[in-house]
Amino acid sequence: MKIKTHKVPGVFLLDSHLATKGEALYGEKVFGEYRLWNPQRSKLAALLKKGEDVPLRPDQIVLYLGAASGTTVSHLANIVSLVYAVEFAPRVARDLVRLSERVKNVVPLVADARRPDYGHIVELVDFLYQDIAQPKQAEIAITNAEMFLRTGGYACIMIKARSIDVTAKPKAVYKGEVKKLGELLDIMYVHELEPFYKAHAAVVARLA
Amino acid sequence: MTIIKTWFGEIELHNGQIVRSNVLQTDAVAIALQLQREEFTDLDKRCRSRLREMAIQLGLVTSEHDYISLLRAVAIQRAKEQIIAAFSRPDARIVQLIGGIDDIDESINLLSERLLEWDVLEFNISSSGDVTETDASQSTIYPTLKHEFVESIERLSEVRKKIAGTIELEMRDVAPNLCSLAGELLGARLIAQAGSLESLARMPASKIQVMGATKALFKHLQYGAKPPKHGIIYQHPLIRGSPLGKRGKIARTMAAKLAIAARIDFYSKKVHPELLAQMEKRIREINNPAIRDKT
Repeated sequence: MKIKTHKVPGVFLLDSHLATKGEALYGEKVFGEYRLWNPQRSKLAALLKKGEDVPLRPDQIVLYLGAASGTTVSHLANIVSLVYAVEFAPRVARDLVRLSERVKNVVPLVADARRPDYGHIVELVDFLYQDIAQPKQAEIAITNAEMFLRTGGYACIMIKARSIDVTAKPKAVYKGEVKKLGELLDIMYVHELEPFYKAHAAVVARLA
Repeated sequence: MTIIKTWFGEIELHNGQIVRSNVLQTDAVAIALQLQREEFTDLDKRCRSRLREMAIQLGLVTSEHDYISLLRAVAIQRAKEQIIAAFSRPDARIVQLIGGIDDIDESINLLSERLLEWDVLEFNISSSGDVTETDASQSTIYPTLKHEFVESIERLSEVRKKIAGTIELEMRDVAPNLCSLAGELLGARLIAQAGSLESLARMPASKIQVMGATKALFKHLQYGAKPPKHGIIYQHPLIRGSPLGKRGKIARTMAAKLAIAARIDFYSKKVHPELLAQMEKRIREINNPAIRDKT
């Protein structure tokens, strides 16, 4: 097996499988100190698997909106220094809390990203990651970026076209969302997540 | 001079310098309790970037590492409390109970089908190909097994009855108006489908009308098929028992009243018996247009 480093520090390629270094947490496959990261279970993994460079660095503080049960969070925590993980649904938040008891650099927050009430807890962050199935994805990203993202910080927003408008063509939906995001952020690139996810795109942007 | 409220306490700043503070102790449980009790406003970005630094300066923690571990302990404690609170809401219980009923129904069906197949066990095929009675030892094993199998199905249906009874009690307390219009079980199903009484109360009537007919609705939106007339409210006897041509109209009327009932139940809890009378009157008019012309 050949181990290569990915463009993103902290991410590795075991042959063609994506992996991060750390303790196994949700039943993923493990090779030595490497935990495999399935691109079909994590949109960030899908984006990395497609060979994109995501501006994630080891010293960053990340605000993660839509953490769900924490699959992606757990890998992200291997890559960066601290993750503030926001999840609204109590069922999956329960799994997230269990996970954060084991991972030392995850701070779980049960809150609604649409109406951020974690302003007194979360510090200024270097990276905003958003993966939520809501109609107003761009608006939520902008509200949170305005509150929490430092100048010069980056954002990665996973757009789920089907949550915004099922009847429209996904490409048209991305275009509309990118335009809204462009009002605050400088868009670096937009990349579709096919074949891992249907009708999903990743927008990577920077706050000037 | 500005006063900011952070998760670890109140701080008064003058020209960016801390002049006064009211920092809490380093007990995660106590801080979490404070977070639950108090109202917080947003901080500006300059203060936000100094949270760690200020906590260290105030002597709350001695290093950035300590800051993170205290914050984590507080956040985990607070999150657990929020999750427990969300699960102990009565409508959350109703959602779970309805889920239980559905699972039991599925299991009963599955087991009953198996039971029919089990007739095979009572016969033995001899070498000559004739069907004969089983021998003595088997003739006691198989009927006993079958009997126990039947008993467990009966037991499940008893549990189902008990759950249904509990739902009825809970529903009359949580959503009395919804109960009077839709009945306890259908009302509970509506809450379960919406996720909570709050989200049902926030729904437009049109969504309540087709809730549960997702496939048909999206076929309509995406490919222009006919729109669905009703979702789970079809289970209501006034819809199910009406002629096909009138079900759509009745479903629309009923959904409108259900939306009102859910809102009253969530926001005020007062009982409004006139809602049911209004709905029934309107449905009578739909079924018999002559009544309306007369009045």
